[in-house]
Amino acid sequence: MKRMFAITNRALTAALTLALAASVVLAQQPQTLKGVVIKGKTPVNKEALKVTLPKAYETKLGNGLQVIVLENHKLPTFTMQMVILSGGLNDPADQPCAAQYTAAMLKEGTKTRPGKQVAEAIESLGASINANSGLSSPTSSITSGGLTENFDQIMELFADVVLNPSFPADDLNKLKTRAAAQLRFQRSQPEFLANEMFSKVMYGAHPASRVAPTPAQIQSLTPETLKQFHATYYKPNNAIFAIVGDVKPAEIVAKLEKTFGPWQRGDVPAPDLPKVNEPGASKIYLIDRPGSEQTNLILGNLAIERNDPDYYALDVMNQVLGGGASARLFLNLREDKGYTYGAYSGFTAAKYRGVFRATTEVQTGVTKGSMDELIYEFKRIRDEKAPPDEFDRAKRTIVGSFALQLESPQSLLADIITQKIYNLPADYWDTYPQKIAAVTADDVQRVAKKYLDLAKLQIIAVGDAKQITDVMKQFGGVELYDADGKPLQSPSAEAKTN
Amino acid sequence: MNKARRYTRGLLTIALAISSVTAYGQGGQKPAAPKEGKPAVGLAPSKTINVNFKDVKLKNGLRALLVEDHSAPVVSVAITFDVGSRNERKGRTGFAHLFEHMMFTGSENVGRNEYSLWVDTNGGANNATTSEDRTLYFATVPSNQLDMILFLESDRIRALDVSQESLDIQRKAVQEERRLRVDNEPYGKTEEKFQEEMFDNFAYKHSVIGSMEDLNAASLQDVKEFFRIYYAPNNAALALVGDFKTDEALAHVKKYFEGIPAQPAPAKIDTTEPEQTAERRFRMEDPFARLTQLLIGYKGVVSNTPDAYAFQVLNSALSGGQSSRLYQKLVKEKELVTNIFAFPNSFRGGGYYQIIAMVAPGKKAEDVEAAIDEEIGRLQREPIADWELDKAKNSARRGSIQSLQSSLGTAIRLSEYAVFYNDPNLINTQFQKFAAVTKDDVRRVAQKYLKPSNRTVAITTPAKQRAGAPSEAK
Repeated sequence: MKRMFAITNRALTAALTLALAASVVLAQQPQTLKGVVIKGKTPVNKEALKVTLPKAYETKLGNGLQVIVLENHKLPTFTMQMVILSGGLNDPADQPCAAQYTAAMLKEGTKTRPGKQVAEAIESLGASINANSGLSSPTSSITSGGLTENFDQIMELFADVVLNPSFPADDLNKLKTRAAAQLRFQRSQPEFLANEMFSKVMYGAHPASRVAPTPAQIQSLTPETLKQFHATYYKPNNAIFAIVGDVKPAEIVAKLEKTFGPWQRGDVPAPDLPKVNEPGASKIYLIDRPGSEQTNLILGNLAIERNDPDYYALDVMNQVLGGGASARLFLNLREDKGYTYGAYSGFTAAKYRGVFRATTEVQTGVTKGSMDELIYEFKRIRDEKAPPDEFDRAKRTIVGSFALQLESPQSLLADIITQKIYNLPADYWDTYPQKIAAVTADDVQRVAKKYLDLAKLQIIAVGDAKQITDVMKQFGGVELYDADGKPLQSPSAEAKTN
Repeated sequence: MNKARRYTRGLLTIALAISSVTAYGQGGQKPAAPKEGKPAVGLAPSKTINVNFKDVKLKNGLRALLVEDHSAPVVSVAITFDVGSRNERKGRTGFAHLFEHMMFTGSENVGRNEYSLWVDTNGGANNATTSEDRTLYFATVPSNQLDMILFLESDRIRALDVSQESLDIQRKAVQEERRLRVDNEPYGKTEEKFQEEMFDNFAYKHSVIGSMEDLNAASLQDVKEFFRIYYAPNNAALALVGDFKTDEALAHVKKYFEGIPAQPAPAKIDTTEPEQTAERRFRMEDPFARLTQLLIGYKGVVSNTPDAYAFQVLNSALSGGQSSRLYQKLVKEKELVTNIFAFPNSFRGGGYYQIIAMVAPGKKAEDVEAAIDEEIGRLQREPIADWELDKAKNSARRGSIQSLQSSLGTAIRLSEYAVFYNDPNLINTQFQKFAAVTKDDVRRVAQKYLKPSNRTVAITTPAKQRAGAPSEAK
């Protein structure tokens, strides 16, 4: 494969009516990017496509359940989702993975069906039900999909799983055993180690610091904890039901009244989220992975909450710096230097401050060269205004991508849900392209200076400490850890065994 | 290189196991009529999904498949070249994939990486992928950029412009891809050795990513020769799906592609394997692994044959989802594994059925093997249940319908089916092949292929304990 897809956290997509503002024009003049040569002979249509999307139908049931229906009759299929507006962020302090395991256990049995029967019933229809919640997620969600002709049967199973889970103790114990083993597996993967350390460093004691529970936390889970979480948070007035596909709003609402109408509302406590504290001065956290062939790098800072007005400028800045295979990091580190298979930047934005980060995996021997180039690109986007052609292309990339989203009704729906979860204005996606078009090169430089703060930059490196400790020390103070998160005084003495 | 990725990433996700059921792709047509009496789930008609495509052979032999689809303002193009790692010669493993990278480094009228730059700049998406059996290039762009994407695609097929510098850069990028997915990943090297042990014929006896040594040996001369032999219009099929008028789009395709000269057809490759007569087995220590992994492969199923469809049904019963036999027995009941999944690894010249199990801490790989054998024995002795047959057919049907959601999914299937089987209409008829599978077929293929003498087994254990990295070898 030429490249893996870039990970950016921009919820791309869904403008209901999209028009490209005149300020986003296509520039074909020569430019100075590394790793790319523009001959300019390609017949590019200068007009950006204007697209119009159907509006979703929205209503609310008597018990407070919000309902969103997005019709799409291209195929005789549908996807539906129950979004519970509480997740890992609502975990009780003494049960820090309650939301995640509540979701994971929903399918393991209901009051009238053992888990095996749930699986057989749903899968024999060629359908699926999946449920999950992240440790730092504001929501829990249950997703199901199948052929429209089986809608009633699938809906019945879906409702049973959402409303009547029994949390059988035996199945929970088995899940806990598997989860402990999976944690062990994850520790063999360098990207997991890097992400875990990065979140810990960025968020400290804040609940968002959690990527995976500890074995002890998993072990302490009881059915009562999960029942309690379910009883408290799985309430219609704390949920959004969203469906997209070959369905009609009137029919859906009638069916929802039957299945979810009797669901009793209740008082739901809001999470008491602490403020995110700045991680402080720049530091390097090196995780020793003896024998590692590559160094996994993450460089990042705290950034913005989801409703921050800087979101648009940050989106454009990210696009210029590392938002894909035509952005600076990829073109420099891979296409000019050959240091890596991929180098990207991305950002998150949530109910608490998200992060902005660059990530790459590089051959151990070029760790220093890669760090130099990453820092160079961070500095360059702070110190120099982006050239007009590059800047215009970045904006056009973001606005243009909306056309492709029209092919993915599920992502359109996801955007609507995002708008609800973060209380964004009702016309948020309608105006998104215009907001992007209004971003100036000065805005981009301003947010680069603000959020790519080199004095506070936190750097994670996962690799063979024997080979890269001295290299990393050239970029700041180094704290050394092993793959289980324990501090080390010096690199593991063990030789590579292969 | 989607194969290595499939093996080495997301090993613990159930979704992967389910999605792998679609490894052969599925058809888009429902069967004729529902059966009387018993509500045969999923066999009831809802809507007919039929892909109407225009099938044209250009003067230079390029097969063009066009589907007019106005459901979204986009157009997708997919070009499948009949060349993959199975076409590589000894000493040049990994070359087909390395070459794929070279296709982005510039041509007569398109600069280095300019292809991706224009696709990205217009909000489009593009990529390419190499497997044992083919190399596939694909892109989706807003429909008003049809001209642009056809220009970009055709220029590199007509007049690729390669340099030593870009070869050296891409060689490095590919070597990092190899490190990322094979050398630096737990179990990555096992996968590679597994394929080498299983096959006797060189065609499939090596990894798609290739060895570091062979990647280092690749020369500019190799690139030029490979391009001339395999990247000929008569060795490819192009599919165009999206928001256009077919006649107009076809005129554009002809304008850009028809002038590319045809080449002599590449030599046919022989993928014939001598019959395997005894089990093959090896053990490996992996310094990165923390759990023991069991890998089993049964050789021989040729894609898009009745046996292959029967195998899909078998796979659904054995490992499809949480209702599957392996999940219920080994994960839930016996707690022998933390995860297990299986899928047909489909090759045109005969692939293998692969089972991957992560052995639970404290359990033994031999016990896992015995439990898997027991389930295979059941498949050989007893017919699968009615609901299991329904599950397989309904999953296949839903998967095939769902794959038509995107113009790209449709384009990829059409171009691959044209190159693989000379049958793009398989996109419409494949479901009937699933529908034709009987319980007897499932038992028959279980008996025919799932024999110990026809398998390769690999057990990977964590290497000895390292400071700060507790591991458990069982």
